[in-house]
Amino acid sequence: MPRLTASKTEILDEAGYAYSFDRQMYINRKTKKAFSVEFVQDHSEEQIRKYIREHTGGLKWRFYFNSPPSETVKHELEGVLG
Amino acid sequence: MAKTERTVEDRLREEYFDLLPDIRRVVDELEAEVKHCLVPISVRLDKYERLVVTSRVKECESALDSLRRRQEGATFDSGKPELYSLDSLNDLAGVRVLAFPHSRLAEADRKLRERFPSWTADPVPGYDENDEPLALKYFGYCRASDRIRAEFQIVPMLTALFWEVEHSVIYKPSPRLKGVARSLEMQQHPRCSQRAEGL
Repeated sequence: MPRLTASKTEILDEAGYAYSFDRQMYINRKTKKAFSVEFVQDHSEEQIRKYIREHTGGLKWRFYFNSPPSETVKHELEGVLG
Repeated sequence: MAKTERTVEDRLREEYFDLLPDIRRVVDELEAEVKHCLVPISVRLDKYERLVVTSRVKECESALDSLRRRQEGATFDSGKPELYSLDSLNDLAGVRVLAFPHSRLAEADRKLRERFPSWTADPVPGYDENDEPLALKYFGYCRASDRIRAEFQIVPMLTALFWEVEHSVIYKPSPRLKGVARSLEMQQHPRCSQRAEGL
């Protein structure tokens, strides 16, 4: 079973991601990226590093979810994350 | 007067109060069954040993929050309210057995598995892959209702007491502490771990 290992959380921690207990996501407001816990569990450390490096422009939030969020959910999360 | 759209949360609150009588009946039945099943162990306990049975009905807002946190991104899709129902939760009715020492925990587990053979095991995993589970957990249906599932846990005494304190701080803070728990720093604490919600 894939797990949320300490090394994955360290990778996110070092890249400036903070864990949101309320939304169960790792978020970085500077780069406007958010990783769900499920996504982190189901992807390898190398894949997570790749997604952290991925250039998104940083204007709109990018959500890394196993099941892409609907527009309604994105809107709700964008409202919460600012 | 314009009609206000009902939120997912409002629909779930209505469902909760419809289920509440069933939840209460199930808690009563399960607590009685578990205590009865453990009597042969309880009467033989040494002075220093403990076997304590507690129960609770999950509160409405706690049930909603629990269901919300099961969604990816911990967010309900307000466009699809039909996706959500509280009957998907395993622990609307919950019983916890606190045991000390470990030998009594194992004994209680054997007895309860014999009594509830069809229930599904769902142990709380340890922090590392090879660690023993932090607690043993089972869910299934009681005779009192086929609408909701119930859960019982068998937990080492010290772990259970720690969870109770932690649960009151994180999920049920006093009004003075609520602001702290919801502050950005607390919500975004990088070391916060995801653990099964305590009973």
